[in-house]
Amino acid sequence: MTNLEIAQTNSTPGIEADWDSGLLRLRGDSYPENSFALFQPVVEWVETYLRDTQRPLRLELELLYLNTSSVRALMDILDQLEDAHQEQRPVSVTWLYDAANERVADLAEEFKEDCTFPFEIVAKT
Amino acid sequence: MQPLNVYALRETFNQERILLCFNGPFTALLIEEIGTALRQHLQALEAAPSAVADVFAVYIEMTQNIRRYTLQQNLSEARAISTLVVSQAEAGHYILSSGNVVTLADGQRLVNRVGELAVLDKAALKAAFKAQLRRPRDTLDGDSAGLGLIDMARKATAPLQALVLPVDEEYAFFQLHVVL
Repeated sequence: MTNLEIAQTNSTPGIEADWDSGLLRLRGDSYPENSFALFQPVVEWVETYLRDTQRPLRLELELLYLNTSSVRALMDILDQLEDAHQEQRPVSVTWLYDAANERVADLAEEFKEDCTFPFEIVAKT
Repeated sequence: MQPLNVYALRETFNQERILLCFNGPFTALLIEEIGTALRQHLQALEAAPSAVADVFAVYIEMTQNIRRYTLQQNLSEARAISTLVVSQAEAGHYILSSGNVVTLADGQRLVNRVGELAVLDKAALKAAFKAQLRRPRDTLDGDSAGLGLIDMARKATAPLQALVLPVDEEYAFFQLHVVL
């Protein structure tokens, strides 16, 4: 399977998925009109990775603002991780945020409420 | 033809403490560019980072809702003209007002929906948001997650206000006010 690399724009996050290291990174703002289309390759990558390997999956997020359809798309991805966790797969999320922007921390906390796998929210200094 | 009374327009803007106003058909690019300008403008006014984030979030939900609706309904160019106003209220508070043409039925449906949300407290709004977030994808309306109005209501410091003014036998002008 290949890696995934989608360049960051004003309204869409940079997306990097590395098959060998089992690391998926999303960073930046996410408010495209068609969030479901943007995140579809990510959903598919996660699905394939979890199916074709037995290795851990780490999700590193440095997301800032998400429009509500991006919130929905990200929740679908976190649900994939939750399902994998229920099957004893090691999965984790680290969400880095700028300490000055408390709204990002609020958003991350709300996602975390629905996840039972390790989910760290870390203020950048 | 009388020249535009720019002074009167400016007086209105000043009295209403309008920071930004747009009137026209929204495009994806315009939404992005105006949004960037709005963020920078608020930062230049030294608004708190959380206020900048909230105003931007409501701006995006409002304008993307309008644009999605306009495209879905395939509204004519004249009917696609929409209005967006960002104004300042008392210290640290902002008001976002939008207006767009909708069918009479949709206008009434929207006013009813805003009324349902208006009676919910923050905890109930959060529950409504999470319930909508959990709705199966195939029950959603295309690209819309159906979360925009609930999200605006959660961020607002007062209940959302909505109003419809009939414009003809088929269409109405829908106004939405969000106080942050």
